[in-house]
Amino acid sequence: MKTPAPAKQPAPVSHSEARTAASFDTLYRNHVDQMYRFATRLCGEPEAAKDLVQETFLNAYRGYQTFRGDAQVSTWLYAIAARACSRMRRKRKGAPDRELSLEEFIPTSEGDFRLQIPVDGLSPEEALQNKELRQALDRAIAKLPKKYRMVLVLRDMEGLSAKEVGSIVGLNERAVKSRLHRARLFVRRELSAQGIATSEPSHNGHPLMQGGR
Amino acid sequence: MAKRTTTRSVQPKPARPHRHGKGRCVAILKKLSAYIDDELPGTLCEELRKHLGACPNCEEFVASLRQTVALCQHQPAPALSQAERARMRNEILRAARPR
Repeated sequence: MKTPAPAKQPAPVSHSEARTAASFDTLYRNHVDQMYRFATRLCGEPEAAKDLVQETFLNAYRGYQTFRGDAQVSTWLYAIAARACSRMRRKRKGAPDRELSLEEFIPTSEGDFRLQIPVDGLSPEEALQNKELRQALDRAIAKLPKKYRMVLVLRDMEGLSAKEVGSIVGLNERAVKSRLHRARLFVRRELSAQGIATSEPSHNGHPLMQGGR
Repeated sequence: MAKRTTTRSVQPKPARPHRHGKGRCVAILKKLSAYIDDELPGTLCEELRKHLGACPNCEEFVASLRQTVALCQHQPAPALSQAERARMRNEILRAARPR
């Protein structure tokens, strides 16, 4: 004979919903800072980053039961955020992504070979104590065409492997590395052009410049 | 090839003069991220290293690319306040609730 169910069953949500909500809280608690950091790096502005984080976790909540666990949770969230970011951008109808060619990064003047910023002899952490440098770096990253920024942020800032980045943005590793390289060259050139510190004497003419533009 | 003037007269001359055409520039440029990420096959890596050792400007270019990557890796990001974290959580759950 079946035991009667307990009389007190305040169940505003189903068992699976409750489980989802509990899982969601864990997911949110463990990953919200990571996703906000990622979103800030992608969007630049805090408000847009918060919107992206909310959109990401909302989509994660709705799709949590379909998450099969064959990827790391963080990789799954990055992929959701990356898709949400593309959708939000399409809504805003921003400028289309332009392609970056290697030719445009061939130095064209003697001052182009080194960074005109105060980094020599300093660790990256020490160099980044300089607020002006942090801002210059943010500006350089913000100027990247979106698809390049996405790869640079995931690989060099979030520290994912090229394979993981590929699975998030839907590219093979080779394409990820090619895109990452152009993104790095772009940021390098921007930092070189911004000249935070006084310029150091540059070298004389260089073969990389010969035959360039 | 344009004549290269240098103030580093004490430095030994490169074994081979650099005769980069645009194609060569791009070929070198193309490999630099793989080089700094230690992903180049041994022979290519050696070839590039030899070139960089003979070419101060190229060496500076690589150093500056390495610095750029290191700066990106260490760029701090702002954190959410506890209140913002809680507010956003509530908004997400509100939006997720079926109407």
